[in-house]
Amino acid sequence: MKNSKTYRGRTVATVSVAAVLALTATACGDDGSGGSGTEGSGKGEITFWDNNGGPRTAVWTEIIKDFEAKNPDIKVKYVPIPIADVQSKYDTAIAGGGLPDVGGVGTAYLSNMVSQEALEPVGDRIKDSALNGKLVEAMVESVKDAGGRGEEIYSVPTSANNGALWYRTDLFEAAGLDTPDTWAKFYEAADKLTDADNNKFGFTIRGGAGSIAPAIDAAYGQSGITDFWDGDRTTLNDPKNVAALEKYTALFKKTTPAADVNNDFTKMVAQWDTGTIGMLSHNLGSYQDHLKALGKDKFAGIPNPIGDGGTRVQVSNPVDGLGLFKSSENKTAAWKFIEFAASHASNSKWNESAGAIPANTEAARDPWISATEPTALAAKSLTDGSTKIVELPYYLPDWNNISKADNEPEFQKLLLGKVTAKAFLDKLAGELNAAQAEWKERGNG
Amino acid sequence: MTAALATHRGDGLPGALAHDAPPPAPVRRGRERSFDEPPRWQIYLPLGIYLVFTLVPFYWMFLFAVRPAGSTSLVPWPMTGEHFSKVWNERSFALFFQNSMIVGVCTLLATTLVALAGGYALARFDFKIKNLFMLALLCSQFIPGALMLVPLFEIFKNLQMINSLGSVIIAETVFQLPLSIILISGFIKNVPVTLEEAAWVDGCSRFHAFRAVVLPLLRPGLIAVGSFAFVHSWNHFLFALMFLSEQDKQTIPVGLNTLIGADSVDLGALAAGGVIAAVPVVIVFAFIQKWLITGFSAGAVKG
Repeated sequence: MKNSKTYRGRTVATVSVAAVLALTATACGDDGSGGSGTEGSGKGEITFWDNNGGPRTAVWTEIIKDFEAKNPDIKVKYVPIPIADVQSKYDTAIAGGGLPDVGGVGTAYLSNMVSQEALEPVGDRIKDSALNGKLVEAMVESVKDAGGRGEEIYSVPTSANNGALWYRTDLFEAAGLDTPDTWAKFYEAADKLTDADNNKFGFTIRGGAGSIAPAIDAAYGQSGITDFWDGDRTTLNDPKNVAALEKYTALFKKTTPAADVNNDFTKMVAQWDTGTIGMLSHNLGSYQDHLKALGKDKFAGIPNPIGDGGTRVQVSNPVDGLGLFKSSENKTAAWKFIEFAASHASNSKWNESAGAIPANTEAARDPWISATEPTALAAKSLTDGSTKIVELPYYLPDWNNISKADNEPEFQKLLLGKVTAKAFLDKLAGELNAAQAEWKERGNG
Repeated sequence: MTAALATHRGDGLPGALAHDAPPPAPVRRGRERSFDEPPRWQIYLPLGIYLVFTLVPFYWMFLFAVRPAGSTSLVPWPMTGEHFSKVWNERSFALFFQNSMIVGVCTLLATTLVALAGGYALARFDFKIKNLFMLALLCSQFIPGALMLVPLFEIFKNLQMINSLGSVIIAETVFQLPLSIILISGFIKNVPVTLEEAAWVDGCSRFHAFRAVVLPLLRPGLIAVGSFAFVHSWNHFLFALMFLSEQDKQTIPVGLNTLIGADSVDLGALAAGGVIAAVPVVIVFAFIQKWLITGFSAGAVKG
């Protein structure tokens, strides 16, 4: 059976094509960043995107409730965004429109947002607010560096995390081992606690998503090199770092489970919390998980081990903060919310819930910090001068690509013995040198 | 043999009667097997191994969902409902479930209806760019949704549909349609056109003939396409994440992702959320598996 096109059919087809073209044409509209926005009336509704939506929803809900009680003219619409997808959510909103007034912004993707002109500089607002002089200087500097625009600051720091070496005190005690506070003791414990035939391992290594920063941390921690750049070239592939990484990755399958090659932090933390693995290198953020799974008597967390040179060296950890978006039509109200969230009481409440280090100097002196041993030790190590920090180049717009998609598979190859530590670090260093040169060519640095 | 059988069975029948009786069925020792049929273990062993690989992750999810936090037990005992209660009540999964159900059912209906119309046109009409259109439908399958994200976002923003479940339903339907149209057109081609012509001769309009004659024969295909659309939209994460920026509009996949934090994850809650997300899909497949297999196999070979 054959039917010719009818007049009505042609009309429908024409209308359909026109509709599609009209809808597609709308894609050529504004850039979504929404221009410069306005200060607004300081009243009404503002939208806040939480960049770690879910785990922090309860504490944010409480802070927002407190804020609304103090500022009855302002209503905060809370939107939790899953952490794994926050950058793509921001990128889509920057390109297509629909950015919030305030958003959680970590230093790991701050430069990407600054380079797209999505965020308002907040240096002057901080100076004129109650936050002036009450933010931890190191975190302020870290946020400035990550923004990549010199002395200008593009988010108000709220908290920092820190790497920790978690270890099972019960297993260490049974094996007669000391606290692994030096790299030598770390390797000794990893070896002694391993009984692979009985599924007991001394350490669990991060081989999957997020593997690069811990690997770099281990390399610098052992080599004792304290600067990431030597002029325009990175020290990452320095022979001392190569030797350190070789030693560290040699632990794979020898004192770690073979499945670690696919370990992201969820798998790594889960297997440590439910199994018989001696040590885990992860940040303070997993403290509550360990506490829930193991109870407070079976584990402890200490800052990274000290190297042979007698100094603790660790890489900088991302600092979390709150950004004010340029497109906001009510920047006055949005800033009030940021100021409130970074104030002593709110910042303390938030960081206590997250087990992180507060950015507010008054909050950093609150009693709960000394009551939580791993956080107290981390805070102490960062402030007593015993730790040298290697500043990672979060300001490079390509940092995330280089340290994730481009090189995580390479680290897996390194674990599996398909490339050498030298080849891995040479590749990584080459890409970072090129990114740094490109960044400087654009007039930065 | 019959006599022997009778004696053996102790029937006590006379020989003549025994001779007149119809020959009994041959003695069966278990199920008979032809020579070219492989031994049972060759079938069940691989299936069993496959089942273990398939079901262990589900068991693991169930185990984490029902055992108390901190437990390392490998059996789901003692059992707790705390994780389900937490995700359902505290983490808004009741709302996410409702939103996902609205998106899933609306996508199912929209996809099925439009695919039915499109499939009918492709199966029953000839037009100049038909082959090109089919090729375009096939090629559209190669375009990942993420590539269309920004244009779609712009379109929905200009239509003021951002933060509306409608945007997700439309996007899901649009991405489901090419495959659905191709499948449905295959089913319709399978129905002889003479059946429709007979209905026309009897006075039916084209639409009435389609509804009365063709539609009932398309049931396997409709179930296959509908269930595929439902399951895909139920599980799809990207559009809901990008187009919905209000907590009370979010769907189950986005809710599940918010259970994984930057540095910590509540495995019990995540597993309980996973069980809640899996239940509707399992129920759908349990009820329609017969139709689904018929549908896909029939549609797959008709072009």
